[in-house]
Amino acid sequence: MTLSLFDQFLSPVVCWIPLVAIAITLPWILFPNPTTRWLNNRSLTSQNWFLSQATSQIFSPINPPGHKWALLLSSLLIFLATMNTAGLLPYTFTPTSQLSINMGLAGALWMGVVILGMRTQPTHSLGHLLPEGAPALLTPILVIIETISLFIRPIALGVRLTANLTAGHLLIQLTSTATLAMLTIMPVTAIFTGILLFLLALLEAAVALIQAYVFVLLLSLYLQENV
Amino acid sequence: MLSRLQAISVKVTDPFVSLSLVQASRSLQTSSQRLAPVPPLPDHGGKVRHGLIPEELFEFLYPKTGVTGPYMLGTGLIVYLLSKELYVINHETIYAICIGTIIVYGVKKYGATVAAFIDSINEEKVAKAQAAKDSHISFLTEAIENEKKEQWRVEGRGMLFDAKRNNVAMLLETNYRERQHMVTNEVKRRLDYQIALQHLNRRLQQEHMINWVEKNVISSITPQQEKESIAKCIADLKVLAKTTQAKAAA
Repeated sequence: MTLSLFDQFLSPVVCWIPLVAIAITLPWILFPNPTTRWLNNRSLTSQNWFLSQATSQIFSPINPPGHKWALLLSSLLIFLATMNTAGLLPYTFTPTSQLSINMGLAGALWMGVVILGMRTQPTHSLGHLLPEGAPALLTPILVIIETISLFIRPIALGVRLTANLTAGHLLIQLTSTATLAMLTIMPVTAIFTGILLFLLALLEAAVALIQAYVFVLLLSLYLQENV
Repeated sequence: MLSRLQAISVKVTDPFVSLSLVQASRSLQTSSQRLAPVPPLPDHGGKVRHGLIPEELFEFLYPKTGVTGPYMLGTGLIVYLLSKELYVINHETIYAICIGTIIVYGVKKYGATVAAFIDSINEEKVAKAQAAKDSHISFLTEAIENEKKEQWRVEGRGMLFDAKRNNVAMLLETNYRERQHMVTNEVKRRLDYQIALQHLNRRLQQEHMINWVEKNVISSITPQQEKESIAKCIADLKVLAKTTQAKAAA
C-alpha cells in the first residue's frame, strides 16, 4: 500500500520506452509558434496576451541589461506552469515533482546569475553579502550568514518546487484512497473526504501555477541583484 | 475525418505542419496549389459533442446505427472495460471524477467570459486599424472637398478679371476724356487770347482816332469862335434862368 502511493513518482516506462521524454516535451506541443497572421485564433491570442503580461510584470523592475534573460525566464515560466497543471490530470506523471529536474533547473540558473554578477560587477555582487544598515560589530557573522544563504538558494529553489508538488500529489492520492476505501463502509465520511478532495484539487491547481511563478520570480530577483 | 483534420491543421498554426497538411488536403481538389494568399482561418473550430467527441463520428455512424448508435458504442465500451477490469477502479478514479467536475464546471462557467475577452483583444486590434483607415479616408475626403471648392473659386476668377478689365477701361476712358477736356480748354484759352488781342487793337485804334479828331477839332477852334460860343452860351443860360424863375414863381 505504501509503495503504491509512490508509484506515481516513478519515471514512466512502457516496454522500456521512457515516456518521460513525451511528458517533458508536452509544453512544446501545446504552445505553437506565432504565425504570420495578423489576427490569430483564440488560443494563440490568449497565450500571446498572457505571455506579454507576465514578461512585462517580471521584467519591469530589472535593469535593461537583465532583459536579455526575458526569453529564458518566460519560457521557463510556461514550461513549469504547463507541467504542473498537466500533472493535475489523473494517471499523469509530473516531471517537476522529480528532484532531478528541479535541481537541474535551479542549480544551473542560479549559478548562471551569480557568475554573471561576479564577472560584470564583482564589487556590487559581493556587496550583497553585507546588508545595509547593519551594525559594524556584526559584520563578520553577517557575511558568513549571507554567504550560507546565498549557497542555500539553489537548493531552496529546487526543493521548494519538488516538495510542493510531491506533497500535493501525495495528499491527493491519500485522500482519494481514503474516499474509495470508505465508500462501501462509511459513505457519509466518504462524502466529507470527497469534499476535502475537491478542495485539495482546487488548492493543487492554484499551487501548480503559483509555484511556477514563484520559481521564476525568485530567479528574476536574483538576476536583479546581480545584473 | 479529413475535413476535421483540415480544420485542425488550420487551427494548429505551426507553419510547417499546417502548410503540409493543407497541401495534402488540397491534392484532392482540382484547383492549382497556391501558397498565397494565405487561406482564411475558419471562424469556428470543428464541431464537437459533449466537448470531446467530434461530430463526424456521429455522422459516420448515423446511416447504420441511427441517433443512439454512438452512445451505445460508448456505453458498451465503458461497460466492457469495467467488467473485464481492463480499467481498474482505484483511487485515481475518484480523483478523476473530482478534477473532471472542476474542469467542466470551470469551463462552463467562465468559458464564455474568457472567450469574449480574447475576442475583444482581437477586436481592439481591428478597431485600431479601422480607426486609422477611417481617419485617413475622412482626411482624403476632406481634401477632395477642399480641392473642389478651390476649383469653384478658380471659376470665379474670370469674373474678377472682367471686373478688373472694366475698371481699367473706365480709367483709360476717364483719362482720355480729361485730356480731351484739357485740350479743349487750352485751345479755347489761346483763341480767347487772340480775340482779346484783337479787341485791344480795335480799341486802341478807336481811341487813337478819337484823340486825333479831338485834337484836330480843338486846334481848329479860333479864338473868335470861342468867344462867340461862350457869349451864346451865357445868353442861353440867362434865358434859361429867366424861364426857370418864371416857372418857380408860377
